[in-house]
This record gives sequence, structure tokens and C-alpha cells, in this order.
Amino acid sequence: MSNSHLFLPSGFLRTPLQNGLGRYIPQLQRITLKFCKNHGGSRGVRDFIESDLMEFAKTNHGTVVYLKPRRHRSPCMVAEYLNGEREYLSCHEFSRDEVHKWLSYMCTRSGIPVMRFRKYQHTDYPTVQGVWNPFTHQAPEINVAEFPHGVLSKPIDHGQTATEQLIEIFKKTQIEDPVNKPSN
Amino acid sequence: MVLDTVAYCRRLTVAVNVISKRNFKAHWVAPTLREFKRRKVIEEDRSGGPKIFHRSTFLEWNYDAEIFAFSNRLGEKFDDSSLRAALTHKSYIEREKARLSDIGLDSNLHFQDNEALSQKGGEMMSKFINGYLRAVFTQVPEELISAMHDFLTSNSTLETVAKHIGLGDLMLCADFPCKTETYVKSFKAIIAALAESSGEERARIFVQDLVVTQLYGQDVNELWNPVDPVGNLAAILKREGKAEPEFRLIRQAGSNSILAVYYVGVYSDKHFISEGAGESLEIAKEMAAREALKKFFHTEDSMRALPFGRQLKNIQSKIEQLENQPNLPFSEWISEKVMSAVH
Repeated sequence: MSNSHLFLPSGFLRTPLQNGLGRYIPQLQRITLKFCKNHGGSRGVRDFIESDLMEFAKTNHGTVVYLKPRRHRSPCMVAEYLNGEREYLSCHEFSRDEVHKWLSYMCTRSGIPVMRFRKYQHTDYPTVQGVWNPFTHQAPEINVAEFPHGVLSKPIDHGQTATEQLIEIFKKTQIEDPVNKPSN
Repeated sequence: MVLDTVAYCRRLTVAVNVISKRNFKAHWVAPTLREFKRRKVIEEDRSGGPKIFHRSTFLEWNYDAEIFAFSNRLGEKFDDSSLRAALTHKSYIEREKARLSDIGLDSNLHFQDNEALSQKGGEMMSKFINGYLRAVFTQVPEELISAMHDFLTSNSTLETVAKHIGLGDLMLCADFPCKTETYVKSFKAIIAALAESSGEERARIFVQDLVVTQLYGQDVNELWNPVDPVGNLAAILKREGKAEPEFRLIRQAGSNSILAVYYVGVYSDKHFISEGAGESLEIAKEMAAREALKKFFHTEDSMRALPFGRQLKNIQSKIEQLENQPNLPFSEWISEKVMSAVH
């Protein structure tokens, strides 16, 4: 399964200006709602402005809300972010709830364009103990050893295998048998 | 406070990202748009770039609302007059005065510029940054502290910070697109305005949250490297009364090839201090000495993570105390004299 057929750009997780590390700064700078005062396609936007807009503006007091009535044009919203990016969304024939939903979606974005995340985590410090290299965990004795070496040339001794342990136990029982015989 | 003049300048267009929907267009729409684009590209190439306009030239612009949102976005309370003074540049006042006198009107404008505020803010910012660095990097010599301070207060860093909090649209200045110095000046003036409005505590936290966090992800050893690490390591060990450093070859591979690697270890009185790797013996020796110094200063790759934001609550008093107390200089550095780690 590859992603080369996708036109969506891909990238790693990032945030502008280490947002959240010190304090969280809402990235939505301003939002412009353009709508028509008459046309039916702007009905949802008009309803939203009449009922939910004040609450939205009060909760997101770091965002400037501009209302721009334009005659005979379909409604849209343009969001501008602190990193200079803009997002355009047509709100034609949206319901009041849909407008609210998309507006809250715009609030959660930073201006970084939508992309496929290659990984869902990112770190600037990928290693703490140091990257492995062939010299890690090598015995220092190899520096002055003459090869072939009695100990270092042999495979590492991991102790007895289970089979060898069973054979030893069996041998022990063989030797013990003649000792028990006189008691019979 | 609307900029009446429209400034035409050369810069890349800001992309507009569209959340696309399906729609049906007539057969002639696409070719027409393609031709428009072709002609537009030719025009822009001829004039050296697309036209850009200041945000205040748009119909939907309310400077008072923008300033209100700016202070709320940062979570700070500003005095209105201080904030407006911090955002007003000298060049803007001069331009307005010239414009009014050209028309013939009396030019007794009551604007205050941000020169004094910027000066004061720059000093405060340096003080706060130094306090943080000395409280967090307790074992580090003063040269590295100043290198980190210079990185954090460099024009490029401060310009990035200023742009990303939205100062680009709020500043009143004659140049557009605004120069780096204008951004930096306004940002420093904002810090001074915040100190005037909400107190020095809040200004300190502001600098810690916005400027010092730019140190995250930056390898501090890239910012400053001691000259002659071998000699300096020997000097430090001598000052501490320990045996002089002994360099021994620990590992080597591919000595006669291009991809040779040598590991050299530093020992003092048969105790291992550090090891370094390099393409040649001299390089490996220098790297080993550098690693030893990093170990002394606690700035290795495995050093503790830097504290930011809420993690600084407990050491704020310590930071305040160390603002005026420089660390030991490199020439006098001894491990006994430096404090143990704070965080």
C-alpha cells in the first residue's frame, strides 16, 4: 500500500512557533463571513449571525470577526491565520449548524495546509543513550587480543540449554540408583 | 488608523487554501481562466512579482478590534495607550506629518513613537533571557550563556516570533513589506508596554513563553565551541587538582581506507571521562576533549529536557535572582564552584 498516487502533500507534525510549549496561542487571526442579505443560499449564515455569532465571538476573543454583506453573491468564509495562510470555504446553502461546525473547525486549525501525516509523533531528540554503532557493547579486550582467541573466537556462552539440563538430571539419577539399592 | 495609501510591492503571493466542493462549470470557463493565468504570469514577471497590499487597505478592517484581539490572543492585558505607542513607528509619524503639511493642515499630531519603549524592552528581554539561561544551565560557562542569548535575541529569531503573533498587520510604519528592524523594534516595545501595563512578572513570563521556547530543538553546542578544547580540558583538570588528561585509542576500523574511524578516550588518573570519534586521530582527540567539556557542563546529547511554561513556576524566584549574576567564565571554570542542577 503506497501513498504516491495521492495528490495530498505529506509531512511531519509541526506547529508554528513552538505553540503550546510556553503558552497556547489560538492561531486563527481573523475570520470574514461574506453573505447576501436576501438570497436563500445565505439563509444558514444569516441565521447563524443572528443567533450564535455573539457567543462565538465572546469565546474566541482572540479572533476578529468581520461581516461583509455582498449582494447577489453566494456566502463564504475566509479564515486568516497567524502564519499568513488563508482558508476559503463556500457556505452556500449551509444550515446554521453547519456554519457553526465549520467555523469551529477553522478555529482548531493552525495555518499549516492540510497534509497527510507521515508519523503521528515527532521529536527533536531521537536518541538519549546514543545511536548504536558496531563498537557498542564490544568487550575492550578485543583491542589487544590475538585472533583466533580462546574465549573471544568462540560463540558467547549463554549457559546450558534445556536439553543439556535434562541430560544432567538424568545422569545424576543414574549415579544415585546404586546408592538406593542396598536399602531395598 | 487606516493606511490610506496602497503600497505596491514585490513578493510571493500568499496561497489561498480552498476546501473544495464539486461543481459544474461551462466548457468555456477553464480555457478562459487558463488564458487569464497565462497573461497574469507574464505581467507579474514583467513587473518583478505580484502586487501585495497591506491588510488595512481592505474594506473589512477595524484597527481597534484588531488590537483588542491581539491582547486577548496572547492572554495579556495591555494599557491601550502603551500598546498603541509600542506599535507606532517613527517613520509613520514622519510620513503623516509630511502628508498633512503637504496638504497644508496643521501637523500637531499626538502620536508617541516606540523608540524609548523598544530600548527599554530590549534591555528587559536580555535580562529575562539571561536569568532563564543561568537558572537552567547552571553548570555552563558564561561564554555559552552569551552565545545562547545572542541566538535568542538575533534579528531573525525575533522577526519570526513577531510575525507569528500577528504584528505584521498591526504595526504602523512607512515601509511595506516591513523590514526586519521594524518587527524587532515593535516586538521589544510590546514587551516594555506589557511590563508597564501588567508588571514585570507578566513580561518575564511572556518572554519565557515566546522567545526562550525558540531554544527548543536547537543543539546548544552548535552555538558555541571552545577553541582548543584539549588545552582547556587540561587547564580545568589542573585547576581542580586532578591528574592531567590522558588520551588513549580505544577503537579503530578501516585505518587505510577513506572510511577510517578512530575512537579516542580521555582518562584522568585511569578514570574514564569521555570518548570521541573521528576520521583521523587528531580529530578524534579533539572530539573526545569536546565530549569531556560537554559532560562537565551538562550539555551532552542526553542532557535533561529544558523546562518551559508551567514547569518554570517553581524556579521563577531563582531566575529573578540570577538575572544579574553571571556564570563563571570559561577561564575560571571549576566544577566545585558551580551550583548543583536546579530543576
